[in-house]
Amino acid sequence: MTQIAPVPAAPADGPRPAGPPAGRSGSGNRTLTYLRHAAGKLAGAAVSLLAVLVTSFFLFRLIPGDPVTQMTRGRPISQDQLDALQREFGLDLPVWQQFLDYCGNVLTGDFGTSYQFRAPVMDKIGEAVLPTLLLTLTAFVIYTALGVLLGTRSAWRHNSRGDRANTGLALVLFSVPSFWLGLLAIIVFANGVGPVPGLFPTGGMETGEEGLDHVLDVAHHMVLPVLTLVAVDYGQTLLVTRSALLDEMGSDYLTTARAKGLRDDQVRNRHALPNALLPTMTLIFVNLGRTVAGVILVETVFSWPGLGSLFYQALSVPDLPLVQGLFFFFAATMILANMLADLIYPLLDPRVGNQ
Amino acid sequence: MTTDDTTAGGATLDPRRLARERRRASAARFWRRYRSHRAGVAGLAVLAVLALVALTAPLTIGAEVSDVTTAPGSPMEAPSGRFWLGTDRFGRDLFGLVVWGSRVSLLVGLLAAALSVVIGALVGITAGHFGGAYSTVIMRITDWFLVMPALVLAIALATVLSRSLGTVVLAIGIVTWPTTARLVRAQTLAVESRPYIERAKALGGGHLHIMTRHVLPNVMPLVLAQTTLLISSSILTEATLAFLGLGDPTVVSWGSLLQDAREAGAVSSGKWWYVVPPGIGIAVVALAFTLCGRAVESVLNPRLGVSR
Amino acid sequence: MNTQEAHGGTGRRHRAPRLVAATGALALAFTGAAATPLHPAPAQARAAEDKQVLTVAVAQSVDSLSPFLAGRLVSTSIHRLMYEYLLNYDPKTNEPVPAFATAWEASEDKLTWTYTIRDDSKWSDGKQATAEDAAWTLGKMMSDDAAATANGSFVGNFESVSAPSKDKLVIKLKKPQATMTALDIPIVPKHVWEKVGDFSKFNNDQKFPIVGNGPYVLTDYKVDQYVKMEPNKDFWRGAPKFDELVFKYYKDGDAAVAALKKGEVSFVPNLTPAQAADLKNAGNIKVNDAPGRRFFALAVNPGAKARNGDKLGDGHESLLDQRVRNALFKAVDRDTIIDKVFQGHAVKGEGYIPPRYDKYFWKPSPEQELTFDIEAADKLLDEAGLKKKDGKRVDEDGEPIVYRVLCHATDPNDKAVGQYLEEWWGRLGIGMDLQCSDNVSDPWLAGTYDLAFDGWSVNPDPDFVLSIHTCDALPATKEDVGATDNFICDKKYDELYERQLAEYDPAKRADLVKQMQSHLYDLGYMNVMAYPNAVEAYRSDQIKSITTMPAEAGNIYGQDGYWSWWSAEPVASDEASSGDQDSTGVIIGIVAGVVVLVAVGAFMAVRRRSTADERE
Repeated sequence: MTQIAPVPAAPADGPRPAGPPAGRSGSGNRTLTYLRHAAGKLAGAAVSLLAVLVTSFFLFRLIPGDPVTQMTRGRPISQDQLDALQREFGLDLPVWQQFLDYCGNVLTGDFGTSYQFRAPVMDKIGEAVLPTLLLTLTAFVIYTALGVLLGTRSAWRHNSRGDRANTGLALVLFSVPSFWLGLLAIIVFANGVGPVPGLFPTGGMETGEEGLDHVLDVAHHMVLPVLTLVAVDYGQTLLVTRSALLDEMGSDYLTTARAKGLRDDQVRNRHALPNALLPTMTLIFVNLGRTVAGVILVETVFSWPGLGSLFYQALSVPDLPLVQGLFFFFAATMILANMLADLIYPLLDPRVGNQ
Repeated sequence: MTTDDTTAGGATLDPRRLARERRRASAARFWRRYRSHRAGVAGLAVLAVLALVALTAPLTIGAEVSDVTTAPGSPMEAPSGRFWLGTDRFGRDLFGLVVWGSRVSLLVGLLAAALSVVIGALVGITAGHFGGAYSTVIMRITDWFLVMPALVLAIALATVLSRSLGTVVLAIGIVTWPTTARLVRAQTLAVESRPYIERAKALGGGHLHIMTRHVLPNVMPLVLAQTTLLISSSILTEATLAFLGLGDPTVVSWGSLLQDAREAGAVSSGKWWYVVPPGIGIAVVALAFTLCGRAVESVLNPRLGVSR
Repeated sequence: MNTQEAHGGTGRRHRAPRLVAATGALALAFTGAAATPLHPAPAQARAAEDKQVLTVAVAQSVDSLSPFLAGRLVSTSIHRLMYEYLLNYDPKTNEPVPAFATAWEASEDKLTWTYTIRDDSKWSDGKQATAEDAAWTLGKMMSDDAAATANGSFVGNFESVSAPSKDKLVIKLKKPQATMTALDIPIVPKHVWEKVGDFSKFNNDQKFPIVGNGPYVLTDYKVDQYVKMEPNKDFWRGAPKFDELVFKYYKDGDAAVAALKKGEVSFVPNLTPAQAADLKNAGNIKVNDAPGRRFFALAVNPGAKARNGDKLGDGHESLLDQRVRNALFKAVDRDTIIDKVFQGHAVKGEGYIPPRYDKYFWKPSPEQELTFDIEAADKLLDEAGLKKKDGKRVDEDGEPIVYRVLCHATDPNDKAVGQYLEEWWGRLGIGMDLQCSDNVSDPWLAGTYDLAFDGWSVNPDPDFVLSIHTCDALPATKEDVGATDNFICDKKYDELYERQLAEYDPAKRADLVKQMQSHLYDLGYMNVMAYPNAVEAYRSDQIKSITTMPAEAGNIYGQDGYWSWWSAEPVASDEASSGDQDSTGVIIGIVAGVVVLVAVGAFMAVRRRSTADERE
């Protein structure tokens, strides 16, 4: 990862494309501009989060079905008990009252109590968030690295056979439904087909080992879900990196750099890539949010005990507090990822840089 | 297209015919450039074949392929000369079902993309045209939708509404329109800054006239490219929702076939012929639309990095 | 842009493999970093290597480990293993047998029941388990609404509960109740549970091991991952033979079956026909296809009403005619459903109670039976006055009849049978709108449906499944919710129900129960199509023997008792070939993963060099 991290901007001797006027103003002004930009983005994110809160509260109340009767269906229960449950969940209050209570509680970090698990929503999310992050961050790191690496190679020799094979494969995998790929991975690499032995576990996250074995055990369980996520997600990074780099490669400063006698890979890695990565940065952050929210399918197929499985389970009851909490969490991840991209972008853009 | 305002000089060039010819010429130019994208042509060819297969399915396969009481085979037979792709859990012919399922998958993909593009174009053009507070508010809403986790929102919508194809179309349409809206708004702003729009306004063209006669034709190509790319993701989303059991259970689509296969335990019992073909169908169609979309995009804007 | 390519490099360093390796390492680091603080390694030493573990695949999440709250089958099955119930059911005959109580008797007036509590049952923390614990558990359920959440209905008719001595439990009833030998309530240790404050919030999942007196002690629980139990060495009936019992989660049925094939789990319930057929051919696996406890039925909305007479919902009027109901069911070919949908893994439906409970099983006489006959059904509809217009049956207003049928989206059988019904009824000219959703309760309780797929698990004592068709079970008013299944309210049925509940003579009671079923069948509101089998499989190289219930051709998972897991005997460790390959498998897997990554890297490096060579 270190090689492709956006290293400080191209050296001063490499002529840069003319930057926007903002880049040429004094440094004090620039800081101010940035702070204003950041404040705007922060405020925007806050408004979005608020909107998510409102939406999640009202959207899921549209789900047909009274959670209490749904939960208790199939077992003997008296009217008194039903009323008691209604009271316990606060469902006997008018909706606006419920909403105000909900907002008040959320401000103090309390997302209510899950109906079906009788545990605070935050606890349930807390239990499931680490497995999800473990899965998605690992996949994210791998597919970003792979996407940038292959994208760079593709752009550098664009229209070569290698490039076509690369982009072709990326497009194919990009078009494949992730759950289907996961099922195939289970058939081939977990069940074993013909000469391929079933090397990997079919699902779950661990078998309950301890110490170093535990780490190995979890890593072993992660292989197939991570591979699935990487396969369906690396293509987009590849394509964006490739086209960004293609755009950049027409620039004069690269020719200058070469004229100075820099080696080809130096030109690529020190000059072209950092600049080309800028547009990719936004996508990378957005992707992180998207991967977290899109992991539902892969978690379902591989029985991974994460947020996605929890969300699906909560929807069928409907376990309103849990559904709302999870929806809020997913949306918040996306919003924060977007905000980070917005905040970091100007900092990295050399055109708003030091000189 | 009534020519109500033909001016006195009948012999001079009819402006409508001129416009028509110009459009025909630019379409021909478009096609010439499109043809040079081999992947795009391949995608188009695949789509043409698939469309033909889907449209003629009532003649070649017949609706009775999805009847359970008259299913010809026994449950989950392996592929044979009689059943090329084996049978499903009711003993129905899977080859026929996969062909028949393409109709629903394509239909939902097209409708959802159309819905999304219509909403997106409407929002984008009006936001770009009117500007001001209206634009600010509506673009805030768009931005907000843009950062919502699409799959989560689609699942939520499909759960909230009753199970039918309409629901699926609606859910996909609602979560995908913001991208189109943004693109269209940017394009609208660019179009409206051109001098001839000024002239049209000066000549008394109303808002509706400007938007439908001048802006819309100019953003159409972009909308077309966007639609093509959207169909691809709509088909994937339809399959996903069906797979999660949120589709209409009585309708045969590729997604519902996969869901059936999974429920029937085809994955662990090694009945690959039940799992593989619908997935390939989805991937091929999605890929074909993506290839076409990329080709259209790069024809329209050669400098534009194809971002998908 | 070709100029750049001409600069194809000399002396380039091979970065690709290193990058890939670095990525892999980073991924592992992530695993370690994220995994370690999550699960600090317990201080206890690892168990001996040859520990024999019985692993059961489950799909359902535990809703709560508190017996006062838990309602799901997985949770109640686990509670069966953790705590003793007053009585158990004999695995051979389904008759009540001693468990926590060794003897029980009713007084002359049928209102006082006295249970003798055994003196050789100990809580796992060493304290003696006594009648005092039982009295406290039942009393808590009577006094605290939160504690009555799960099993409150059992104590609804209790006047008082007391423990006059350590070995005597006395329950006084308000009116006679024949189900006093079927009180399926886990008895909990008073000295532990009296410290609990709010029963609605206490999930019993904080301190391990959990104190109990059943055959197993729950030692560890990780949400949606596993529940671990160890044998209770002091269990009065004898300790279980396996060293550990693990319930492991597989949300996906296919994943569970694949795990069984590889020996990762020992037992998988709820197989589909395809899985069962496939596993029959696999080595070292025994498929158990046993009569189930469930019935699978088609319920009709009988014009839903509340107890006060208010009408609920909008069930189709034509269904109030018994001939129409019977005609619909005559158009259902139960044999095809068994053959095609269940592929033989079910028994053709007849009476209300499954044949597994032979004491209560009833079937219609040949004259009474509604056999499959589309023509006869068509004639019946004609007689009922449903006219045909353009091949479609119409109601009095001339509107085509389209029945709404509720179906559970999570049950593949509902959806499959629904498709058959649609085609069969189509031949009668009747339309059908299959409404599948995750949550059918809402239209169901509101009565806004015409027909619905229905199914209940029947207990050895049938009281509950019978009670849900009485008028008493109807909601009090439109706004209330009743225990009723599908709003049936019939005077004759209610009369019979009351008589069987007060009848303490088993044979006479069984006869009354059969009369009820016959009447229910004729009414045509409840049409049983099939009794689905319990289809399950286990590793015969891990489990040597296991008790099914009934002992002859019975099921294993979800028994009315702890017999299966208590009785399971492991294959002696020197016979077992698998089991210890786990860590080897892990290492092989990881090595393979690394090899794949390195290979990909190497391939890229090589390809990169070769393309460079071509150009130079």
